[in-house]
Amino acid sequence: MTRQRFIFLTLAPATLVLVTLALVSTGGALWFSVMNRALRSPDSEFVGAYNYLRLLRDKRFFNALEISAIWEVVTVAGTLIVAVLLAVLVHETVKRALWRNLICFAFLAPVLLPRVAAAFIWRFLYSPSLGLANWFAGLFGIGPIEFLADPKIALLSVAVVDIWQWGLFFTVILVKLLETLPQDPIEAAMLDNARTWEIHAFVTLPMLRGPIISLALVKAVESLRSFDLIFVMTGGGPGTATETLDLYAYQSGINLGGRISYASAMSILLLVVTTVAFTFIWRAGKKWSR
Amino acid sequence: MANISCTGITKSYGAHPVIDGLDLTVADHEFVVFLGPSGCGKSTMLRMIAGLEEVTAGRITIGGTDVTDLHPGARGVAMVFQSYALYPHMTVADNITFGLRRLGVPKDEVARRLRDVAAMLGLDALLDRKPKNMSGGQQQRVAMARAMIKTPKVFLFDEPLSNLDAKLREKLRTEIRKMHNALKTTTIFVTHDQLEAMTIADRIVLMRAGAIEQQGTPDEIFDRPATRFVADFIGSPTMNFRMGIIRNGVAEAGSIRIPLPPGRFAVAEGQEVELGLRPARMGLVAGDAPGAIHGRVVLIENMGAEGQVIAEVNGAEMSFVTKEFRRLAPGDAVSFALSPDHLHIFDRASGRSLLNKDA
Repeated sequence: MTRQRFIFLTLAPATLVLVTLALVSTGGALWFSVMNRALRSPDSEFVGAYNYLRLLRDKRFFNALEISAIWEVVTVAGTLIVAVLLAVLVHETVKRALWRNLICFAFLAPVLLPRVAAAFIWRFLYSPSLGLANWFAGLFGIGPIEFLADPKIALLSVAVVDIWQWGLFFTVILVKLLETLPQDPIEAAMLDNARTWEIHAFVTLPMLRGPIISLALVKAVESLRSFDLIFVMTGGGPGTATETLDLYAYQSGINLGGRISYASAMSILLLVVTTVAFTFIWRAGKKWSR
Repeated sequence: MANISCTGITKSYGAHPVIDGLDLTVADHEFVVFLGPSGCGKSTMLRMIAGLEEVTAGRITIGGTDVTDLHPGARGVAMVFQSYALYPHMTVADNITFGLRRLGVPKDEVARRLRDVAAMLGLDALLDRKPKNMSGGQQQRVAMARAMIKTPKVFLFDEPLSNLDAKLREKLRTEIRKMHNALKTTTIFVTHDQLEAMTIADRIVLMRAGAIEQQGTPDEIFDRPATRFVADFIGSPTMNFRMGIIRNGVAEAGSIRIPLPPGRFAVAEGQEVELGLRPARMGLVAGDAPGAIHGRVVLIENMGAEGQVIAEVNGAEMSFVTKEFRRLAPGDAVSFALSPDHLHIFDRASGRSLLNKDA
């Protein structure tokens, strides 16, 4: 068998599944987006770019776009900051392998939870009357705080759950990466009068720049898929304070509006925006990690 | 003023001590080499002086200050690692000045010292490069610059030349010694290469299994080894050893008869000993010369200016070095002898040299 045929034969099954699942549904969404299909009537007709043009006049769409952007920035940055700080803390304070492994195991638990389960756990924690979070706040004489009902902090409260799941997971990865670093440059830095935080800020973390950028990209892609978490915790509310693009598409297309074509147009636009954005982020990431 | 003194240094991993009650002093301006086989504790000793390894028991002072519990950065020492240990993401200039910047030295002062050090080590053209784009020799030069710019009280070198090829190793060895002659900074240099130790040391501290086997100038170590271990470790080609016995003031080993100068060795009549004969102290002689050793050539190793001849004597191999090796061929009968006063005699049980102290 020639090399070319081998490559073709091994790639074919996966490509076939990908084409069937991704391209057919994308093609379907594209087709729906130029029709005026809705759930309340069986008929539909071709309307061209009408749905797209309407999107550009839809304030709720731009609100969702803004919420999505904030969600991306907050969860990616939050996850990395938490992971870096915790990883350095664990690396510096827990020296025994047994304790370190136990902590890593505990930190892995949240990400193993299904999103919906995590969301329910935190809804109870956030509850104004029964929740642990408000009990703590009460100890300091604050509250009760409406974590999920206050539009100012609802998005942040949901982001905390996402960061709780992924920040701790990335902590484990970073702890393991810190362990693999060569000791000599770190010892050289100690002899160069660097304090512990300076060793990490100027030596170890820059040495891990490549892996950290990769983690950021993984998290950025993952953050786009937070529909289940937000849906269970707030359903996009209060009002539209936590309504990301995928939530708005769901609300207008399936839940209440039933305007499938309009939602499809939104999905296509989301696809285009994220593809373009990630192409640039990917290129920049590759440049930085060099 | 930066003499180093270590008293009662003990280092244990778990219950197992690798260094047990070691005492050592290094005088100001001295260039001391820790020499020994791998696992003898020489690197551990250096790392304890640097502060990178905790001391289980004992005290270390540098320039009169007890540094045993001080952070490595506060000891006034600079270290050059075998792996160079450069910061991979920083330029050469940033690597060299990292320590000064951590101390908050003013910028123009840092720039001035960087210029001086770069000029001294020939790094001017490389200051903007990253370590990965440089050769091993260049990287080690950067590591030396990083150590020098701090003007430390003590330089510590941990096998700095082991990762370099032979030619470069020789060149940098010379440079390190020249640097020491110019700066006069107290230096400890760790190596397992006896030739390296012989060539650059003021004093060699030969270690074995966590203890000092012998310390002295390279000449003392080479010509008056205190034990069989030292005699075996130092010198290339290695010393020939033969089991022998003392009879009528002559050391006998098989057909070998070497007369002993009276009073030179503390040996008794009939004592069973081990004889040590350095190949470099032997040469061809006429067959009837006194003390001549007769053998048959097995192999000749051409080393350019001279050759090592391996001869079979009484069923065992013995080597000697001669410039006239070119007229010999394998299978030839050969007679050679040790030059007078270069015989070593060791106690069979303890391995200690039986040479009289004042001889």
